[in-house]
Amino acid sequence: MGQINLKEIKSVSYEKAEVKKGYTDQSLRINLSSNDIIIDPIEEKIKDKFIGGKGYDLWLMWNAVSGDTKWNDPENAVCISSGPLGGTPGYPGGGKSIVTAISPLTGAPIDSNVGGYFGPYKKFSGFDVIQLDGKASEDTVILIDGIENTITIYEAFDLPEDSYELSDTLTRHFDEKKPVNVSVVTAGPGADHTFFGCLNFSWWDAGRKMVRYKQAGRGGIGTVFADKKIKAVVARFGAISMKANSPADLDALKIVTKTHAKEINELDPKQNRMALVGTTHLVPIMNDHDCLPVHNFKFGSHPESKVIGEDVFEHIFDKGFDGCWRGCAVACAHGVKDFSPFTGPYRGKKVFVDGPEYETVAGCGSNLGIFDAQTILEINFYCDAYGLDTISVGTSLGFIMECFENNQITTEHTGGLDLSFGNRFNALKIIHQMAKGEGFGTIVGKGIRNMKKIFAQEYGADPNFLQDIGMESKGLEFSEYITKESLAQQGGYGLSLKGAQHDEAWLIFLDMVHNFMPTFENKAEALHWFPMFRTWFSLCGLCKLPWNDIVPEDNKNTKEPAKVIKHVGWYTDFFNAVTGKNIGPDDLITMSEAVYNFQRIFNLKMGYGTREHDTVPYRSMGPVTVEEYKSRYKRYDDQLIEKYELDISNMTTQEKVAALRKNREEQYELLKDAVYERRGWTQDGIPTLKTVKRLGIDFPEVLEVLKKNGVK
Amino acid sequence: MIEVDEKKMPWSKGMTITSLFQTLNDVEYCSVVRLNGKLISRPQFTDTPVPDNSIIQLLPLVAGG
Repeated sequence: MGQINLKEIKSVSYEKAEVKKGYTDQSLRINLSSNDIIIDPIEEKIKDKFIGGKGYDLWLMWNAVSGDTKWNDPENAVCISSGPLGGTPGYPGGGKSIVTAISPLTGAPIDSNVGGYFGPYKKFSGFDVIQLDGKASEDTVILIDGIENTITIYEAFDLPEDSYELSDTLTRHFDEKKPVNVSVVTAGPGADHTFFGCLNFSWWDAGRKMVRYKQAGRGGIGTVFADKKIKAVVARFGAISMKANSPADLDALKIVTKTHAKEINELDPKQNRMALVGTTHLVPIMNDHDCLPVHNFKFGSHPESKVIGEDVFEHIFDKGFDGCWRGCAVACAHGVKDFSPFTGPYRGKKVFVDGPEYETVAGCGSNLGIFDAQTILEINFYCDAYGLDTISVGTSLGFIMECFENNQITTEHTGGLDLSFGNRFNALKIIHQMAKGEGFGTIVGKGIRNMKKIFAQEYGADPNFLQDIGMESKGLEFSEYITKESLAQQGGYGLSLKGAQHDEAWLIFLDMVHNFMPTFENKAEALHWFPMFRTWFSLCGLCKLPWNDIVPEDNKNTKEPAKVIKHVGWYTDFFNAVTGKNIGPDDLITMSEAVYNFQRIFNLKMGYGTREHDTVPYRSMGPVTVEEYKSRYKRYDDQLIEKYELDISNMTTQEKVAALRKNREEQYELLKDAVYERRGWTQDGIPTLKTVKRLGIDFPEVLEVLKKNGVK
Repeated sequence: MIEVDEKKMPWSKGMTITSLFQTLNDVEYCSVVRLNGKLISRPQFTDTPVPDNSIIQLLPLVAGG
């Protein structure tokens, strides 16, 4: 029992719903204002259309919020679900949770796919999805106990401030003898003072006998969670086997699970070695292809990147099993033990750092001009402990560093801090400030879209320059890939539903390196199929890495290698084995299409979801500055001459920058046209009536939103 | 001799990854190889010599991220 003080406010016993073919067919709603605990059945028609996972989350949110709801209104709901396939032990990546809320950064639905055991434990405790709304008056802890079949709301006192200690304390508090039975969702102090607070989802690492974490990072869901005064949601459940999910065909499930796991065990050591290095192999690869963000996405490579890639982290990572789900063969969730921070409240103490992954290395390393693995580890640790999204932190810090170097902001604004690229001490100071709500860190924590307004309106900065270099789309900071030479990936960011995150489409290599999609139609097709297929993982409670980060040896001989069609077939088998349905691979796309279009219309309901919001900053399309142009002048000169047939012999570099920009911006608009047409949307980016009818999402309230926006 | 994806192949003096690829089928999706444990990306293929007795793995990085 830890030294904490939990006062029971309400507790209910419930009859646990039996899991049938991957579903409990029940939702749990907890209203923090009234302390109501409501268990509802999930209707068959909702199950058929929304499948589970993100689909369920969005449906509950759609019914919880109005078009006027702001992120900090009580009706905003944090929804957490698993999915029918989630919680299958041994299936690679088979234990994800999907979290949604109206985002403080974007004002629209945000979704995040995260590891840890919470989603499966919650489902096996009787609930496919939980909805947390209202606002508590005091700090609150919620326990969903699937062993005792009780749900309890506690007022909480004397809890540790940060996620790192809080999850550990609550894990031991709620099951000291069997901590593996507990998974905790927490925010941290960063969520109280920034718009990009994340959620930490825990699991008990039995080998190391400690709590580990993965983050639902994007879009500030932790900030919403903290605004409701929720300190933690805890799920407790006992032993899990393949039978726990009550699959329709256990033998078929065993076969497909074993087949996929066996392949990963055989091929990962020959391919990306993710079980050894996680995703840090991407650092040298992105650097070599000019896609690693350096100095706020100005450049795509740097000679010092070799000291922050897989060669270094392979030796730093602690050896042992690192699956964020039971028996996952990819096991990429590595960490560093006995790390000793040189700043902040943990200075001089020994801590375990969960990470870093590629995004953190790139965002908080190269993008800031910090080529030092120790500093990256320290930033990673404090972002997790404070509950801050490392991607938004890294991209926002890159933005302010470029603003500082260009005199858009000065030490007068930063509280005396020199924020030049590479200043690791002051980068860390800003992170500590964000956690405490102090100094310039409070401004940075509002995110790039807000900083652009503040810098222009209050500090007299140049709004056009800020617009060009501020790496956000829809209010969400870019994840860590340079897209200047890949029009398809510019669309992958700009046309994604939630903002600039690459989880819908990652097309850089197919487009830029292989030139496999030379036409707008090719790119539009890719920007249809890949977002739909990737959406499917979040409907079902799965990780996408096992799909295409380890691929069959004969994949290159297939008709469309990028789709890894053998694995698509295995996922179809997986779905059928659990649910008892008899679908084909193409049905996976149709399932996702319904939810994807519903989310687009949800954006519309919230005042977004049209063409004007599918924009990206010019920095993601091409060189903003003369310095950038000159760094790749041959590439750009050749393109102006060969592709755009311009005579550049008498042009200044500034004129070349402008000419390239005009052409690239036109290309991006043409891409939008092609993608909208392929997706069955109007030229304003709204799903047509025909599309929503074809997908069966023509609910009266959906049609009402479309009608309000001129689609009849 | 060298080994490419666990298959023995003859080595020749002056061999680079680019010249090796000219002798292989179905490598258009391969933009990264692991040469004796080190990652080598396509922009470096032409300039990267392949020493005798090398072990090479072709990495099928098709749609990561």
